[in-house]
Amino acid sequence: MSRNKLYAILAAACAAGYIWLIMTYYRTFSLALEPGVCLFKRVTGVPCPSCGTTRSVLSILKGDILEGILWNPFGIVIIFVLFIFPVWIISDVLGRKDTLFNVYNQTELFLKRKWIAIPAILLVLVNWIWNIVKGL
Amino acid sequence: MEAQKVDMFIMTNAKYFESYQIAGIRDRLIALDDSKWAMISTVQLKDPTISLIVSILAGHFGIDRFIIGDTGLGIGKLLTCGGLGIWTIVDFFLIMGATREKNMQTIQQLLY
Repeated sequence: MSRNKLYAILAAACAAGYIWLIMTYYRTFSLALEPGVCLFKRVTGVPCPSCGTTRSVLSILKGDILEGILWNPFGIVIIFVLFIFPVWIISDVLGRKDTLFNVYNQTELFLKRKWIAIPAILLVLVNWIWNIVKGL
Repeated sequence: MEAQKVDMFIMTNAKYFESYQIAGIRDRLIALDDSKWAMISTVQLKDPTISLIVSILAGHFGIDRFIIGDTGLGIGKLLTCGGLGIWTIVDFFLIMGATREKNMQTIQQLLY
């Protein structure tokens, strides 16, 4: 994947994320989003590994980090991405650098190693089971 | 390399590449040294049809992106409920082309 394509995808994803957060925040001040947008949950009735991430992000934005982690630990990753990446992309594009692209490629290689990938997959599965137990 | 060998390779593997890439691959293979045949003929290519099936069944979790090697985008899909379901559906249509691009990258490392 080329640098510009990656930046376009990431920028679009971040923009969509912010739009989604604003929409959710203004539509429902309570965090009840039943039945929610998740295709998997709508089809099967079982929450997917990332269900509850919106509620988690909104909790963290309100300052309640513990509640955010209890909703779904993925929220922390999403917050990190939503805060860091737009600034990083803009600085890279304006400065004609490709630091984010290099970091992305190195991270991909790092995550493909067996001793990183297998624990990561297990963590996601554990989180999924936790989501189902919580009944998100 | 012998034209016969190259044509055999092209016939067996044409479905793994975009149609416009095939003529270029054929030219490069004919110009290539015979010693590389062993590597070329055993190269592991991903089947676009398989990735489409995986995309339909498990695209929501980004598994389709993981198996073609786009780990970063896979994580993106996994963490966002398949891009709120939209990216999942978009990828039904993009994943076969993406797989062929990945195959092209794989074979390019051997061709050049």
